[in-house]
Amino acid sequence: MARMKFLCDAERCIECNGCVTACKNENEVPWGVNRRRVVTINDGVIGAEKSISVACMHCSDAPCMAVCPVDCFYKTADGVVLHDKDLCIGCGYCFYACPFGAPQFPQAGAFGLRGKMDKCTFCAGGPEEDKSEAEFKKYGRNRLAEGKLPACAEMCSTKALLGGDGDVIADIYRERVARRGSKGAEAWGWGSAYGQPPKGAAPAAPAGGKS
Amino acid sequence: MHTLSRMTGWLVLTFAFALPVGAQQTPAQKDLAKDQQQRTVNQPGNNSEVWRDVRSGQPNNTTVPGRETGVLVQAQARFPGQENMTTAGEAWRKFRNGPVTFYGGWLVILMCAIIGAIYYTRGPIKLHDKPTGRVIDRFSLAERWAHWVMGISFCVLSVSGLIILFGKHVLLPVLGYTLFAWLTALGKNLHNFVAPLFIVSLLVFIVMYLKDNLPEKGDATWLANGWKFFYGVHLSSGRFNAGEKVWFWVGVVVLCLIVSVSGLILLFPNFDQLRSTMQQASVVHAIAAILVIGFAIGHIYMGTIGVEGAYGNMRDGVTDETWAKEHHDMWYDDVKSGGAGVTTAAKSGAAPQTLH
Repeated sequence: MARMKFLCDAERCIECNGCVTACKNENEVPWGVNRRRVVTINDGVIGAEKSISVACMHCSDAPCMAVCPVDCFYKTADGVVLHDKDLCIGCGYCFYACPFGAPQFPQAGAFGLRGKMDKCTFCAGGPEEDKSEAEFKKYGRNRLAEGKLPACAEMCSTKALLGGDGDVIADIYRERVARRGSKGAEAWGWGSAYGQPPKGAAPAAPAGGKS
Repeated sequence: MHTLSRMTGWLVLTFAFALPVGAQQTPAQKDLAKDQQQRTVNQPGNNSEVWRDVRSGQPNNTTVPGRETGVLVQAQARFPGQENMTTAGEAWRKFRNGPVTFYGGWLVILMCAIIGAIYYTRGPIKLHDKPTGRVIDRFSLAERWAHWVMGISFCVLSVSGLIILFGKHVLLPVLGYTLFAWLTALGKNLHNFVAPLFIVSLLVFIVMYLKDNLPEKGDATWLANGWKFFYGVHLSSGRFNAGEKVWFWVGVVVLCLIVSVSGLILLFPNFDQLRSTMQQASVVHAIAAILVIGFAIGHIYMGTIGVEGAYGNMRDGVTDETWAKEHHDMWYDDVKSGGAGVTTAAKSGAAPQTLH
């Protein structure tokens, strides 16, 4: 089984926000919720500007899963972290715990009324029957069940955002880094999301240890 | 009550290091941008200043509105007892799921075990003499209302709070996902809507009971010898004994106010407080709440099955003269002499009231 991962190449991302729009459109995400966002560092500073698109990274040891009081999260065989909105109580703990700020709530009301959490599903739907109406309404499209990859990465204009089998996208990225002369080698977020590779082992993934 | 005084020191210690270590000082972002410009010239492809900026947890630019959306990854932080810095969310998860759940759970179990042991070895504390049948006023109607509104809301908050922290480990395997999630959702909403009632009644309670809980002569002696209470020895005390005063000051005033303030931070996410604030508030809330629940277990025992007549006092507001004389002799003398400190003296000729 593939282990699904996201990787954003900071050397390629042009902050077009196409991934954000693609996600909203594909999944018909409710108002106020953005499952994906692009963050630009040193915006407008020539020679120092870099952008990164970020959503749920589908962590190996996901903090959101660990802190959920009702244990509504689960991990698919592909390593995708999903949740059950019927169980979610809207306590916000996943939002406190997530390093990447992925969990979103439709409200932030007084008395802790947040509504059901919503987050990136890696276009893999939820616990309902695959491709069903109920699944689409709650979680958006189940592209994995249709044999497709996440919409955000699929339509990325510069192929900065890669989503798919971790080994495959790591190979693509490694080749890019080699062609660039070992430059821009940082696979941002991989250290936090997927852990450090075992010491001494040949790096299966690009260097991502620092972030 | 002796255990309560012991716990006071423990509790002070806990709070001394319950304050999490915040993120490391981050260099000004402007300098990082300038450094990165320089680095791009000298070492093309090396983005280390950009990543340093990202790791600092400072917000950057994004078109997506919302709280902390400009933060790519939470700043590094470390909670008490943690060796390494990790992202604040991960540090919070380890602290909450680790020591808070583990020691907190054992503290509640231990407190129940101590109370159980006292009950089965010593039994309830009974009156030595026969009740006289003559009653004197102990708690006014307002005092009883303040006590019961606070007490009942406290119990609702405790049970729902315990479910949120421990239910996953205790109830979920028994009830199953659907029922447990329904129960927890109910608990969460009760918790959030009963909390303001608790806070208001807490403030009223503190004002009403403050005067008679001020330290007096004899409190130190009581604290040192309070455990003899379980062996039938009654030490001299005023309207409230020193054990009750510890419960009032440490449990009600300090802990409940900490729980209230930290709870209010969590209760109103609409004020856009940062995740780090809510992480810290949530662990302070959990630790203080577990400690006060530990106290409350002791108090509820003493107020119901632990001491004969105690529950009736708070229910009816009156107590038998024998009870007053045995448990709170100085207060009894005050009442009898009509001295200072007596809010409502017993009226002779009042409608006969019975205890039990």
